[in-house]
Amino acid sequence: MRKIYSIGLVRGLLWQILGTALGIGILTGIRYLMGLTAWKGESAAVFGALLGSLFFVYGIGAMDDWIKVAGGQEVHEPDESGWGSMRYFGVSLDHKVIGIQYLALSLVLMIVGGSFALIFRTELADTGMQFLTLMEYNTLMSLHGMVMIVGILVGVAAFMNYLIPMMLGARDMAFPRLNAFSFWLAVPASLILLSSMALGGFDTGWTGYPPLSARAPVGVQMFFLGVSLAGMGTVLSSLNIIATAIRMRATGMTGFRLPIFVWGSLATSLVSLTATQLIGLSFQMVMFQRLFGMGFFDPAKGGNPILFQHLFWFYSHPAVYVFVLPGLGIISELLPVFARKPLYGYKWVAISSFSIAIIGFLVWGHHMFASGMAEYLRVPFMYSTLLVAVPTGVKFFSWLGTLWRGKIEFPVPMLFVLAGIVVFLIGGLTGPPNATIATDLHLTDTYFITGHFHDTMFGGYVFPFFAAIYYWFPKMTGKRLNETLGKVHFWLMAPAFIILSTVMMRTGLLGMRRRIADYDPELYLVQDHVVMTVAGFLVAVGILVFIINTFWSLRRGEVATGNIWNSRSPEWQVPSPMPAHNYDRPFEVVGEPYDYGLPGSVYVEFKEE
Amino acid sequence: MEHVSKSSVLQLGLLVLGALAILTAVEFTIALTINIWQVLAVIPIIKAMLVFYYYMHIYRLFEEDKDIDRESFAYKLATNRLGLWLFLISDSFIFGGLMISRINLLGLTRPELIQSLGLAVTVVLLISSFFANRAEVCMEYGDRKQFILCLSLTLGLGILFLIGVVGVEWRLAPFGPETNLAGAVFYVMTGFHAFHVFTGVVFLAIVLRNGMHGRYTSEKHWAVEASVVYWHFVDVVWFFFYPALYLIGTLVK
Repeated sequence: MRKIYSIGLVRGLLWQILGTALGIGILTGIRYLMGLTAWKGESAAVFGALLGSLFFVYGIGAMDDWIKVAGGQEVHEPDESGWGSMRYFGVSLDHKVIGIQYLALSLVLMIVGGSFALIFRTELADTGMQFLTLMEYNTLMSLHGMVMIVGILVGVAAFMNYLIPMMLGARDMAFPRLNAFSFWLAVPASLILLSSMALGGFDTGWTGYPPLSARAPVGVQMFFLGVSLAGMGTVLSSLNIIATAIRMRATGMTGFRLPIFVWGSLATSLVSLTATQLIGLSFQMVMFQRLFGMGFFDPAKGGNPILFQHLFWFYSHPAVYVFVLPGLGIISELLPVFARKPLYGYKWVAISSFSIAIIGFLVWGHHMFASGMAEYLRVPFMYSTLLVAVPTGVKFFSWLGTLWRGKIEFPVPMLFVLAGIVVFLIGGLTGPPNATIATDLHLTDTYFITGHFHDTMFGGYVFPFFAAIYYWFPKMTGKRLNETLGKVHFWLMAPAFIILSTVMMRTGLLGMRRRIADYDPELYLVQDHVVMTVAGFLVAVGILVFIINTFWSLRRGEVATGNIWNSRSPEWQVPSPMPAHNYDRPFEVVGEPYDYGLPGSVYVEFKEE
Repeated sequence: MEHVSKSSVLQLGLLVLGALAILTAVEFTIALTINIWQVLAVIPIIKAMLVFYYYMHIYRLFEEDKDIDRESFAYKLATNRLGLWLFLISDSFIFGGLMISRINLLGLTRPELIQSLGLAVTVVLLISSFFANRAEVCMEYGDRKQFILCLSLTLGLGILFLIGVVGVEWRLAPFGPETNLAGAVFYVMTGFHAFHVFTGVVFLAIVLRNGMHGRYTSEKHWAVEASVVYWHFVDVVWFFFYPALYLIGTLVK
């Protein structure tokens, strides 16, 4: 019994249950003492969930060191070498362990969110309601959106945490304890988010617009709370990334010798550090409106529902750049390795990440062309949105220039990189029709948007994410993922996905609305929906192959301890899996990072003992 | 720091307090007489810049590293400073969002509040900020007795502010959060701010307790600096919230 309790995760979950119960009890008690009706399910649920997540983080021990410091004790970094694989299930301060924890959580969330999509995709294969009720459909559809978003945020954090200290030559992140804390905040947040299904679900879509979200069942409160907590974790982790990238670089690693992935991560972190607070705020304001009757977004009290949309999209549009910029960084990172050529226009690519992030702050209004926003705001937002195409074009130009006349190799990571470029290109080209007011008024809330969005997410995040897993798996485990299974995964997933998103756009142009549970048979779209459903399942089978591959390769994969990709990056110059404190000898940066194929060029030089 | 005498640093703190007090008085008078919102919007910015520079020492972020050894105290201290400021930037976006909501929802109107109480809590917070600065300076010069005295005063004034806003104003206000829009905006803005004041009070209390046990020295007192900078930040937020809630615009019943 004690052995099970010593596992951090179990302890945390027990504490969370305790905290939730305590929270519900305290709130009911206070209401009773104040002479109000003692039982109010909604407030009890919110307070319980809030206290529960705090108890989780405390119970698992993510705050132990801070409590010790506050009590005036000295703290030291624990020696984790003897913990074995159990350290992945509890608080660890090692950025590599936290990165893998993030990765596991991300995969779990993406699989959960993906299976939601499969369920309602099956429902949509025919007109009429087959096996879901309308509320069930709406809940699954809304949760698919948000669970995927949290999953992506966590996945982005996974690679930033795992790679950045290694690429910079640092021992760990700037604030290791904060790093562990922000990861462990994401776990109760995900649980709270998913618990909305048990509390009546919600029917607002992932955007949660009031006044609908002010009237939805209690589940929507869990949705708001879960997202706010996950957002808080993101803010703290991006703070950590920025501080690390500024302060922990190896000697000689000047701004324009930083790995391109670090540039992308910096731009991402800049956005999520600042803008995330506004989605938290807008969601919390709806929570208060429901709990205390505050009339922010209630037109009957003089409130303004459009205000919510402004606050919401001020984060949620830059958020898509948060999802894709690290992924695009991974593409730029891997292309030169497999094309054996220098990265074309390194400085421009580095700057383009930042300009995408900064322009991204000025474009949120394009989500509101059809929602009654002030008329004079439309044209400026249209132009600012179209401007995003310029720095994105710089990236494409650089990728093409890198591939041009390269000695291209095609192992699995490269396949995913190339698919990422193609899919992101489709996603990018279908963007301007949504940014231009005249066409957008026709396309708003159709499946065209859904197709466009999934293209950008798969091209900018999912494919590079898998490329990164195949590429850095040997670094994490010392074993290589099976190439054949990897190719099966790729050839199942990539074509099926392109069919899926293209048909999505086609149905959208033919009049299929997004988010709806049922559609008119007179639209003659049943065939398209069947194609989409089959394609969706093919993507899922591909991911199943990937999961099997992971477990198989962990046990009997080909041992790969050396620099199997012939990379110049410092983390590949030491044996895999990475030693506990990264580098025994510090290194100095003496050349350009991506000069592949140039004779005599060196990037890092390890100092002698 | 060593070449500047302690008394002159303390004098500077007092001067800044004087400037802030005069600006607050000007603000209050303008609000009661001509009430030009442009002026009332600029004054908090000037006040904030004074505090950023003289109390929160923003320039420390841009100092060259004296020691480039990663494990040295000086290098870690500079990293910590950067982390704290990044957190404050992030936090200010919450308050910015609240301000935008207030401007959008209320425009040039304001809720019906007790003017004297508003001025009183503002002055209380201002003086607490002054003592917070004094506590930090005293710590830097190794004067523990003064440090503990000033920090206790900061803490006491902070609690007084909380009592003034949450204990008195919330009870005496002629509206609840559900009555009208002005009420909703007032409670959410003061609520968010009061929560930050509360966390600041807890932070200061922990630092005070550790300070009484003699755990800080004139060289190593990052916790003191952090809590004080955070406290000034909470004060700066109130610089903006006070005119937004009490002064700008016409009264709405």
